[in-house]
Amino acid sequence: MADNALYILLCSGEREKIQMAAMMAAVAAVSERPVQVFVSMNAMLAFDKNAPLATRYHGGAFAKLLHDQKAPDPMVLFQQGKDLGDLKMWACSMALDIQGWEMSHLDETLFDGPLGLTKFLSDAESGQFVTL
Amino acid sequence: MSEKTIVDARGAFCPGPLMELIATLKNIAIGDEVDVWSTDKGSVTDIPEWCKKVKHECVGVVEQQGYWSVLVRKAK
Repeated sequence: MADNALYILLCSGEREKIQMAAMMAAVAAVSERPVQVFVSMNAMLAFDKNAPLATRYHGGAFAKLLHDQKAPDPMVLFQQGKDLGDLKMWACSMALDIQGWEMSHLDETLFDGPLGLTKFLSDAESGQFVTL
Repeated sequence: MSEKTIVDARGAFCPGPLMELIATLKNIAIGDEVDVWSTDKGSVTDIPEWCKKVKHECVGVVEQQGYWSVLVRKAK
């Protein structure tokens, strides 16, 4: 992976943080930076493909504003990053186990597969690391 | 003869106008231009910066009535 790669560890289920992760991932990917996103903990719940978009997120005052103002949904931004740039998304294998989920529980067009934290951290040694 | 495509991204929030520009650039020929109309203030700096980074040409930014017109020429 290139040394300008961006690695995002996304753990929060808050709309505000997922929105920022999606914005960073999409913009970096279309700016010729390889991006990898590792989704774990509460953030995983937002990627449940069976959950209605309106109930996927929680958050504070800004989450309501994002919803009311019809800001682009984070899932759409992640997908745009994948379609237009080098963006890979990984589902934390531990979080999948804890939830009792298979990869089929998540949107297959968004995720590249399950991954362990050790591998993600190892890959991330060569780039910039952001936690949300 | 180059062609110009207008992307009317007025009302779209950041990074919507940039993403619409990039999707359009994929489908036009080198030398063709895209005129992005945006009400997002960030587009005024973000689109020129993106062009500089990925080596497309930002021809100009013009403030219109209530929105900005950002003209980009596909360079590669």
